[in-house]
Amino acid sequence: MLLDVRDLVIDYKTPRGNVRAVDNVSFQVPAGAVVGVVGESGCGKTTAVRGITGVMPGAARFAGGSINFEGRDLISLSEREMRRLLWREIAYVPQSAMNALDPVWRVGHQIEEVLRDRGGMGRADARRRAEELFAMVGLEGKRLRDYPHQFSGGMRQRASIALALALKPKLVIADEPVTALDVVIQRQVLDIFAELQKDLDLSVILVTHDISVVAYICDYVVVMYAGRVVEAGPVRDVLDRPSHPYTMGLYNAFPELAGDDRELSPIEGSPPDLLNPPNGCRFRPRCPFAKSVCADAPAYRSRGPDHSVLCHRVDESASLREAARHAETWTGMTAA
Amino acid sequence: MLFVLWAVATILFFMFRTMPGTPLAAFIDNTTTAEQQEALIAQFGLDKSLGEQYALFMWNLFQGDLGQSFFFKKPVTEVVWEVFPNSVILTLTALIVAYVFGIIAGAYLAWKRGSWVEGVGIPLVLTTRAAPEFWLGMVLLAVFSFHYGWFPSGGANSSGAVWDSTWQRITSADFLSHLALPAITLAIYLQGLPLLLMRSNMLNVLQEEFITMARMKGLSTWAIVMRHAARNALLPVATAFALGIGGAVGGNVVVETVFSWPGIGRLLVNAVAASDYPLAQGAFLMITAVLVVMNFIADITYHLLDPRVRVAASR
Amino acid sequence: MQQAGDIFLLGRGTTLMARIRRALYGAMEIPRRDPFALAGLILYLVFILLAIFADSLITHDPREILFDAEYNLARNLPPGGDHILGTTYSGRDIYSQLVMGTRGALIVGLTAAISVVTVGTVIGLVAGYFGGIVDTLLMRLADIALGVPFLPFVIVLAAFLDPSHWNVVLGIALLLWPQSARVIRAQVMSLRERAFVEAARVTGAGPLRILFVHIAPNVLALSFLYASIAVGWAILTEAAISFLGFGPSDSVTWGYMLQDAYASQALGREQYYWFVPPGLCIIAVVVAGFFISRGYEEILFPKLRD
Repeated sequence: MLLDVRDLVIDYKTPRGNVRAVDNVSFQVPAGAVVGVVGESGCGKTTAVRGITGVMPGAARFAGGSINFEGRDLISLSEREMRRLLWREIAYVPQSAMNALDPVWRVGHQIEEVLRDRGGMGRADARRRAEELFAMVGLEGKRLRDYPHQFSGGMRQRASIALALALKPKLVIADEPVTALDVVIQRQVLDIFAELQKDLDLSVILVTHDISVVAYICDYVVVMYAGRVVEAGPVRDVLDRPSHPYTMGLYNAFPELAGDDRELSPIEGSPPDLLNPPNGCRFRPRCPFAKSVCADAPAYRSRGPDHSVLCHRVDESASLREAARHAETWTGMTAA
Repeated sequence: MLFVLWAVATILFFMFRTMPGTPLAAFIDNTTTAEQQEALIAQFGLDKSLGEQYALFMWNLFQGDLGQSFFFKKPVTEVVWEVFPNSVILTLTALIVAYVFGIIAGAYLAWKRGSWVEGVGIPLVLTTRAAPEFWLGMVLLAVFSFHYGWFPSGGANSSGAVWDSTWQRITSADFLSHLALPAITLAIYLQGLPLLLMRSNMLNVLQEEFITMARMKGLSTWAIVMRHAARNALLPVATAFALGIGGAVGGNVVVETVFSWPGIGRLLVNAVAASDYPLAQGAFLMITAVLVVMNFIADITYHLLDPRVRVAASR
Repeated sequence: MQQAGDIFLLGRGTTLMARIRRALYGAMEIPRRDPFALAGLILYLVFILLAIFADSLITHDPREILFDAEYNLARNLPPGGDHILGTTYSGRDIYSQLVMGTRGALIVGLTAAISVVTVGTVIGLVAGYFGGIVDTLLMRLADIALGVPFLPFVIVLAAFLDPSHWNVVLGIALLLWPQSARVIRAQVMSLRERAFVEAARVTGAGPLRILFVHIAPNVLALSFLYASIAVGWAILTEAAISFLGFGPSDSVTWGYMLQDAYASQALGREQYYWFVPPGLCIIAVVVAGFFISRGYEEILFPKLRD
């Protein structure tokens, strides 16, 4: 196992109180696998994966758990040790490459900076490698001399992927890498990404709110809701037989990238305020299948090899799945 | 740019022509005969109509002729050019000191956000912005010149000193020791703007995603702050620098007066006090020209430094 | 420029006075939220009280030349005894001059602030509301005003007109209006499109009525912001002009005191008690303006707070 996150807890100190943004989250990333972390915005998925890099906003603190990467616990590493490891072993593809690239430096310069500062390369080697990287993601070498604002959204995202691959990392964390792009470009960028992942045998954590992206590219999926993992497992198991109502709801909310004619319906309401989360199952206020038992804290239940679910009604999942297919099930929930 | 210069020159012309009394009043005393008076009036073109005078004024201005100084009995341009370099040296020295200090201190204060350093620093900076420059100069003079005797109390050179060239003069220890106090005074006043500007820019830039990315790349703090944060935060400060030159050449009137610094601001004050109207007009136009040209240059710098604007402009 | 916080939007209301009252109330809301602004207001209040009660606070006539018991000129006396801050070279009481100087400084500061902000607000309103050629002309005028070096202009002005505080007020009103006008213009441009203005238009209100009854009260807070800075500017300018010797010779201001001290070689005699207090007073008033404007800015442009 390349990465093993166990019982990770991350708190935000806010003026109004402590917010537990990541609450006992566990998941694994096997070498060479693509793991999707999926959930609505604000569910803690970005906080969790950024926690792996140790680069967090000033208000965020580790409050428990471990992040085991190749036998070392990243949380206990010093800042120096962590810095040595960043980008060489763990690289990051950001959500919006517009702001992720420094506007006053040429794109090529920013790639060469990493190659030289962090990779110890000379100027000429760095330049050659930058061209190579651009070729890998399907960009012309002469565009290295452009500034970020001269790139289209898709090109910026490709450049960000090239940048992430610069030092041949073992693990790439991609946070909503295609969200800002239109659907056609999304496909192109995802295809390039998937191809490079296979060729380089990369391990990838892909954060997204779009479950169709998970279906398209991932081997494993981790579904997060309100700071907790509610369902996790191999992608075919989870998506073919979703066992948590939230997963079922997410599946209904997005069109498939490959295109099909399912009835789309959003999950009504919004995630709970983490300053004051509901007790018991956190999805209860929005769940069409909530019962009185859901007011008690649920426990993880196994649904097959590596497939676990955090739901009281997991044994009834087959019938719930059937009901969840109908859009009417998901309407009129906000009143409850 | 030329439009503004023209407008200012025109306003100035009419101000000077419509003032009470004859502009020659100060120039004519009991000893001048009626013929001499006539000659003078003709020399300054005061016997012509206002329209003709205006045309003549503009034409002369266009040729760089600002008329004769009543007091120095020399062409105004000559008098102005004599002192102009002193003003430029004083202003540039002060500005460079102020901006180097302001940029570094501003970046530092941004880095120290929320600490006691900020709590003390910001009110202190506001205080220097609020202090009258000439008063700062007076305090520095009393302490460092009169009390400790470290610096001379005024002028640009000791009297009686002779120099082979202007370059030798302005690089001499004598000149530099005269320059120190007025330059520091001006710098203390000027550093507030770049400091506050740099601080707020840094605070904004440090929130940017590319700074988070730089941290994720494992770059050193130095590389993050200098290469990425400061470089971005500097853009507006560079623009303010060019604007500062224009503003400061006119604004250091009082500092030049306190330190008897032979610059264009003091020349203007003396010319106005002595009712030497052509000279006052010339000095004023010169200060305006510097201001307007620098505003224009500030615009250009901004376009040169920011790749986003640069490309937009070239399209 | 970001848009002013909606707390100041006064769409509905009965009379103009009621609206202005509410705008003023909004303006008074600020010091309650920001301790710096409160400190600034208190400083202002102290100086205003000083100016009002100056006559009863002074110990001597600030212009009177004083003599000691032996009929010798009371020249350059150190602080203490009869003279809290000592006396000047010509035998005048420094403390009394300082207290009296508050009055001159505040009169110049407040008049100048009111004039420049009135000019700026009216021009900003007109340019922003009518747009087109009116806007272009006014903004061109603003370019010219900004192209004129400020202090030299006031000096030249002082040369033509009789030495008076009004030169400073006039100079500030003529040259510094573009700063407030530009911001108010931008604000008006966005207000123009709001629903309540549209509603007024539909009910048949004329452009002037819309502008001054419906829109103007909403930019009043911005005017306050610029006024609180302008007071400081005016006081600094008055001090500089007096220091350069272009001020009126018949009134005592802080600038006049500093000029007197400088010309009488007080620096060489290290009479700090003479030239330091007026400078500190100027700093205090100007800083108070900064603090108040800072408070306004935080409320008006909340995005600045991070």
